[in-house]
Amino acid sequence: MPPSSPTKIALIGSPNSGKSLLFNRLTGLNQKVANFPGITVDIGAGRSLVDSSTEYLDFPGVYSLKAISGEEKLAVDSFDKALDTGHLDAVICVVDATRLEKGLIFALQVLEACRRHNMPLLIAANMSDVLELHKIPLDTHGLAAALKVPVLSISGKTGIGLEQIPSAIASATAPTEAYAPTGDIITSDDALVHRQAQQLAKQYGPKGDLLINAQTRLDRFFLHSWVGGISFFVIMYLLFQSIFTWAAPIMDGVESLLQVIADLVLARVPAGMASDFIADAMFGGIGAFLVFVPQIFVLTLVVGMLEDSGYLARAAVICHKPLRVFGLTGKSFIPMLSSVACAIPGVYAARTVDSPCKRWLTYLAIPLMPCSARLPVYTLLIAAFIPAQKALGGLIGWQGLAMFGIYVFGIICALLVTAMVSRSSAELRSDLPFVLEMPPYRLPSWRPLLRNAWNRSKHFVTKAGKVIFIVTVVVWLLGYFPNQGASLGDSWLGTLGKWIEPVFAPFGLDWKYGVAILTSFLAREVFVGTLGTLFGIEDADENFVSLSQQIQDSGLPLSSGAALLVFFAIALQCVSTLAVMAKETGSWRLPTQLFVSYSIFAYLAALLTYQLVELLV
Amino acid sequence: MTLWDLTQGTSATISAFAGSIEAGYRTRLSELGFYPGETIACVMAPSLGAPKLYRVNNTVYSLDDSIASMIEID
Repeated sequence: MPPSSPTKIALIGSPNSGKSLLFNRLTGLNQKVANFPGITVDIGAGRSLVDSSTEYLDFPGVYSLKAISGEEKLAVDSFDKALDTGHLDAVICVVDATRLEKGLIFALQVLEACRRHNMPLLIAANMSDVLELHKIPLDTHGLAAALKVPVLSISGKTGIGLEQIPSAIASATAPTEAYAPTGDIITSDDALVHRQAQQLAKQYGPKGDLLINAQTRLDRFFLHSWVGGISFFVIMYLLFQSIFTWAAPIMDGVESLLQVIADLVLARVPAGMASDFIADAMFGGIGAFLVFVPQIFVLTLVVGMLEDSGYLARAAVICHKPLRVFGLTGKSFIPMLSSVACAIPGVYAARTVDSPCKRWLTYLAIPLMPCSARLPVYTLLIAAFIPAQKALGGLIGWQGLAMFGIYVFGIICALLVTAMVSRSSAELRSDLPFVLEMPPYRLPSWRPLLRNAWNRSKHFVTKAGKVIFIVTVVVWLLGYFPNQGASLGDSWLGTLGKWIEPVFAPFGLDWKYGVAILTSFLAREVFVGTLGTLFGIEDADENFVSLSQQIQDSGLPLSSGAALLVFFAIALQCVSTLAVMAKETGSWRLPTQLFVSYSIFAYLAALLTYQLVELLV
Repeated sequence: MTLWDLTQGTSATISAFAGSIEAGYRTRLSELGFYPGETIACVMAPSLGAPKLYRVNNTVYSLDDSIASMIEID
């Protein structure tokens, strides 16, 4: 191995072999992990934590080096190319030790590829912590002797055996002969490879049915006709509840903290333009949005927990038949659920939908799923319009119910759109067979989950925060001048806003909401920041009143509030989602179509809602 | 009989694939362990026509009717 340039080591393995968790352990990076096959979609690269001259490359999981789908082909081709160009110094083939045979079928293919390319190979039998826990032995020495390549027993989760990887790699050599147990000539026959893998697994692998029996018992519970159905709804309900009940105290804490800081700062700044700026743009605009960060943290954490547990694959089985009615497949469930946290990971997760038509339909559903960026807008409007009263002895809160309603509304819209579009052409009705590996149930590993939730919140603050900061400052400047905040209506922004007022007037919204909606097309949460700034400028006596209170005081009718909610539930106001979708589909066609059609759909639905509520109330 | 006809808790040996199965799927199913001569157990057959769970060695896969009915069993 060349000592100067970094030693490049590829990690390859079948989906759900725990490669990414191992990669994160080795490099200290944060590649997305989930206990669901096929979640790694890009090649991740990172320097080793213990030796910076070593670089690990995490390849997307594939079942075979003979690809059958487009995405798989991309992954296999990139691995082939890396082998061909001599870019790699060694390969680690990661297999799930608890399901050794499946991993060995793939490992034998990799062994053959490494032999042809004279590439050192190490086989890492991952998840050995599970075997240790149940005291099930694995004969790594026997396996290594049979395959004539080093085999290490490791755990990406607990870190067992990882310290041996560098020395094992250093001493690994390229396989010199193809594995042939009975001395026959190796053939490309699938059945032969299969028999070999089976024989090896039987001889050296973990014995007994302990793990699979435990898994089956849980499957019989979670997929039971009615127990399974009920547990599905209970789990989804808890997911939903957690966002509000767990995050609420932290949100209140952030709000009080901001208020204390605002009072402290404003007491020290003399009245005038500077204090106006700090109160309106800083605390009014950016503060209004910071309050929602805890919710995003909790939501990402809970969705991550579900992903890690292995339950999602069962949810996909439960949802397969019902989703088929709406033109989707059970595999659409995972991208759609991820989109409840954020549409961007949802778009990436759609790669696990192997049928191109169904994936395309899943893309249509994703932007309508109630993502966390809508939460600030929903929470604000609901707090402004729905009384914080409880019914049925405190069991049901009206605000929670309203939130549940608007969430369900988004999901129903998504399903109706896919149902209608899928029926529009015979091609879209066609289906690929449903074959899905059922991963073992696992207790979530907290460290990566917490880190992922932390990163997502940080991303939200830094990425969206930057946009919100710029927008609020611009909005403040335009709203404050030329008359130093004396009259918002006569400011530059007021003049501009009145020009667009007719567009939103049919919902009974004045120009301030029009400006906030316009800015929210960058990202939905900007709405809250903009509105916070505008009300801040207007409110002459600089009392720190919550934004929802200010909306209430402004006398906005319920019908307009409902129209706003519906508008935000449908409109695709997220530049990042559009960009990621363009990247994934290879063109701006679909994002452009979706943006235009969902904007029109949102406008018409909001108009209808306004009229309906006006009629009823 | 096909794999889809297996009831929960029973096993059978795969005899052949239906002629109409796509070559790519045939290869993939073989790689997953579904190949003629292999014994497959149906570990879970949820009601309402949901995909069934089949065990091949130490791995469980879920297959829907469209694919399971293309795998013939003895």
